[in-house]
Amino acid sequence: MIKVDNLQKAFGKVQALSGASFHANDGQIVGLLGPNGAGKTTALRILFGLLQRDQGSVSIDGVDPAVDPIAARKNMGILTDQVGLYERLSTREHLRYFGELHGMKRADIDSATTDVVELLAMQDIIERRATGFSQGQRLKVALARALLHRPRNLLLDEPTRGLDVMSTRALRRALQALRERGCCIIMATHVMQEVSHLCDDVIVIAKGKSVAQGSPAALCEQTGISNLEDAFVSLIGTEEGIAA
Amino acid sequence: MNRFSVIWRKEVIDALRDKRSLMMLALFVFIYPLMMWGVLNTAIQKATKVDRETNEVVVIGASQAPTLMQQLKEQGVTVLERDDMDEAAITALLRERKQAAVIRIPSDFAEKYQALRPSPIELWSDSAADQQSKLKRIEQVLRSYGNSIAQARLLAHGVSPAVLAPVPVQEYDTATSASRSGKIVGAIFGIFFVATFYFCLNLAIDTTAGERERKSLEILLAQPVKPLELIVGKWLAGALLCAVGLSLELIVGHVVLTSMPLEEISLSWRLGLPSLLLLIAVSLPLCLFASAFEIALAMNSKSFKEAQTSVGFALMLPLIPAVVVPMLDLNTQSWMYAVPVLAEQTLMLELAKGNAVPVTAFLTTACVSLGLALLCVAFSSWKLKSEKFVLGV
Repeated sequence: MIKVDNLQKAFGKVQALSGASFHANDGQIVGLLGPNGAGKTTALRILFGLLQRDQGSVSIDGVDPAVDPIAARKNMGILTDQVGLYERLSTREHLRYFGELHGMKRADIDSATTDVVELLAMQDIIERRATGFSQGQRLKVALARALLHRPRNLLLDEPTRGLDVMSTRALRRALQALRERGCCIIMATHVMQEVSHLCDDVIVIAKGKSVAQGSPAALCEQTGISNLEDAFVSLIGTEEGIAA
Repeated sequence: MNRFSVIWRKEVIDALRDKRSLMMLALFVFIYPLMMWGVLNTAIQKATKVDRETNEVVVIGASQAPTLMQQLKEQGVTVLERDDMDEAAITALLRERKQAAVIRIPSDFAEKYQALRPSPIELWSDSAADQQSKLKRIEQVLRSYGNSIAQARLLAHGVSPAVLAPVPVQEYDTATSASRSGKIVGAIFGIFFVATFYFCLNLAIDTTAGERERKSLEILLAQPVKPLELIVGKWLAGALLCAVGLSLELIVGHVVLTSMPLEEISLSWRLGLPSLLLLIAVSLPLCLFASAFEIALAMNSKSFKEAQTSVGFALMLPLIPAVVVPMLDLNTQSWMYAVPVLAEQTLMLELAKGNAVPVTAFLTTACVSLGLALLCVAFSSWKLKSEKFVLGV
């Protein structure tokens, strides 16, 4: 369960966030939509306690990441926009490293590794070192390390980028399974198809503000436009801006 | 398991699989002992050659002045007797540079000597040849030979020979080949510890700037790990590499130095195994400092290459006292133990001479390095928390 209220953050003169409010319940997949530079990455970084907010409140299962980032991160699985792997470590060693950083025991790591490998269909790369991995394989490792410690909350920045059709389907099934288990998933994305397929709720952010939150159907209803993509464009007001 | 030991173990495994780290380690373990062997060996050969070298002089007509021949021999000059030679033959002989000079005693020497008339002796030398000290010795013998004849003749006339030498000058030369090469050799001896900074260089850069370049730093910072734990893990991994490298280097150096006849250049390596182990132990804080210093520097760079440049430049800093101070040829002073690298090398030189080193020197050496290391770690950890740094990852 993630609750964000009136989040504000400025870098010098640039106001990256100027009042974003949204919430994501347990057992829900929530899409975070917004054009480039809308403040999605900044919002996610504040959620996992890497940046300090100027104003507003954040609660992750009742924990404020600004006060206790370690506790907040323990219940969080994170996929950032940059997938950095250690070229000289195998996938299994990656997972072991991050599992240990979360304080997991060796036996737990082993069983959790078996789980995520099956969930993401990555048996072929589990013993290989990361050198020479394709974009999609790298992303799978990054996703696996985010899921390994079975977090209650997931923050995923464009989780489907670079994945082939089979992997995308595997990921979709994985996210649905996690939703069944009661996970709270926030997923920043640009792919409308993913949103309409997966998301129970959609948050629309533009120019550092949250402009709408609701189910895809509710957003279409709100704007009076039947197509989600057109509804999104109308909500962020970009086309009007360009026209003017 | 502690968080920092998780990071420590991963960084050590990662470094051991990195060919660049291992190459650097192997290179610096052997390069300094070998370099030292080269320099010391040359110095030893030069020193022993000078001692072996004899001062030879060719004398023509030696039989006419037996006393002179006797005096030359007493002064360590070997006399090679020859028959008469002309000017061209003498020039050719001197050009070979085997002898510093040729003394030609004319055939009427004995006759003039008996008649108490001035009896000239010719001294031929090649001033272009670099044998001035040998020539000087021969000239001295000739001068004192002339003086002794004058003294004998004055005495025969009842005049004191002291009249001839109102101001006797006594010359002393304290130079030895060892003291001349001492400064350079001392510096070479000391450079030993500079290698410490190269053992962990690759690891320090790879785990900070490299991690940033690979884009893996953000996700690492987003794990439930405190910045201090992150830095300590990486720091100790670097320090371990340094400690292994420095220990191996000192052991290789010890083997090389004990096998050389260092007394020929008045150096000594009187280190037993206990002293060697003590030296390694005292140098461990330097390993901690080297790793912390490089991590604190490298984490400010965005890429491996950038860090290599900036850290490489900054490494001149610990090098300067280590090279410059031995050149100054100062006596050991207590402030030297407060300068990292210089402190360790001073300790080593003192132990090598077999001198007793005060406990405070050991303590100062260890504490200064350790203190600086902790400062660097504190700085790195503070820096890792700063928003400006996080935005750059």
